Amino acid sequence: MALLKTRIVAPSLMLQTSFRALRRPNLSHALLSLSRTISSTSPAAHPRSPHTLVDWRTMAPQDISKYLRQTHDKVFEHNKAWAAEKCSKDPEFFAHLSAGQNPEYLWIGCSDSRIPAEQITGLEAGDVFVHRNIANLVCNTDLNAMSVITYAVEHLKVKHIVVCGHYGCGGVKAAMTPKDMGILNPWLRNIRDVYRLHEKELDAIADEETRYNRLVELNVMEQCRNVIKSASVQKSYAENKFPIVHGWVFGFHDGLLKDLNLDFEKVLADIQKIYNLTES
Amino acid sequence: MKTDQDTFLYALSSNNAWAGYKAHQNPDFFPKLASGQSPPILWLGCSDSRCPETTILGLQPGDVFVHRNIANIISPTDINTSAVIEYAVVHLKVKHVVLCGHTACGGAAASLADTRVGGVLDTWLTPLKAVRAANQEALDAIRDSQARIARIAELNVEAGVKVLMANWTIQEAVRERGLEVHGVLFDIATGRIRDLGFGTKPGGGAGAAGEEVRGRHAQLVFRGSNASMAAK
Repeated sequence: MALLKTRIVAPSLMLQTSFRALRRPNLSHALLSLSRTISSTSPAAHPRSPHTLVDWRTMAPQDISKYLRQTHDKVFEHNKAWAAEKCSKDPEFFAHLSAGQNPEYLWIGCSDSRIPAEQITGLEAGDVFVHRNIANLVCNTDLNAMSVITYAVEHLKVKHIVVCGHYGCGGVKAAMTPKDMGILNPWLRNIRDVYRLHEKELDAIADEETRYNRLVELNVMEQCRNVIKSASVQKSYAENKFPIVHGWVFGFHDGLLKDLNLDFEKVLADIQKIYNLTES
Repeated sequence: MKTDQDTFLYALSSNNAWAGYKAHQNPDFFPKLASGQSPPILWLGCSDSRCPETTILGLQPGDVFVHRNIANIISPTDINTSAVIEYAVVHLKVKHVVLCGHTACGGAAASLADTRVGGVLDTWLTPLKAVRAANQEALDAIRDSQARIARIAELNVEAGVKVLMANWTIQEAVRERGLEVHGVLFDIATGRIRDLGFGTKPGGGAGAAGEEVRGRHAQLVFRGSNASMAAK
């Protein structure tokens, strides 16, 4: 049965907290693949590979229905384990959390499942305010992202805004594919505009993957500019000397963040020639 | 309290440590990540820093496709959310769409206040204001302000799930391949997620066993007219 191959994604403490819940006949094998105990003080206490081995696309209908229940239940089981772990390490953890948030960062990243902001930066619940969308875009007329920026800057007073892209971005690739993609068109069009802004440089790159990866970087820089064009950022910086805007790119091959070293002061000055919203 | 620059450098150096740790622990981890994503879950949640989806779900990179916005509002004409849904459901073929609200939500609190938030935020929060107007009496009857905020967060999830269920892409996927839509609430004070029972039923012709499993999680604390958080 396909389910036998499911690799359960679990912190080791699940062995104690939800062993009973998991111990259904078709899951007993999965327990064998649970990783061994690791120190909970390590940067990431969740050992395992990123993917389940199961391919539900090829399953029989009755297996799919089991798989659906299992993937749904798994989340609740893991959540209980996580909450229990946090409580045992710091009984006040959730009391502090419910008292309010005071994050230093706003993270604007891609929806891609492989880039959970908190885990790859080793930050805790309460540290990062997060907006994630297709290809980490910040569009002037998108009230969704613009509301996030306004709230983070004016109300939470974040110190850093990070726009984080990633190499091999599916959204960037989709945007450069000659195809009508329906409701995705108006969103992905913004990436084509970035290409047009840097057409010469990009056209000169012969290797396709290298060209996409460069477009990923240029897209991040362009979205940083869009963040800086907002009234919230310009006004807050004039008054408080923060937030600072950063452009990062995440690489799957090594799991590392690359800082594109955006010169915030310079970009801000350049932008304010035309986009100044500070009334100064 | 660390200085601003300290926290910034911490994030970058912490990433270095994390990457080294992951690669040491499982040399295949990053090569597998690089080969593509096939997440079973699309998570629609709040930007609030206290709701890191992958962490609170106990999951790993590669498991959850994510969109987070102010107060997890699902607005039918929002191109940002629509693009995320389209990409996740049509192209990645996720099996679950989870809309998650949370207690102590700043956006929910703002929608219950009678002051302007400012900038584009008031426009963004309009759907939540409409939820408030439609439930004004029931909300007014809740004395405890935190319980009232939690209740409107739950009503917001209910409204959001309705918008999701009216989305063509989602409707087709529900009909054709049993996509499931769930509405849940994250309780920041306990770290627990509760299934609110909105959305689709367990898919794929699940029998009695499926309902049982489902029932185990469906602690509908906030349902009905009594909205006290202590009702559990």
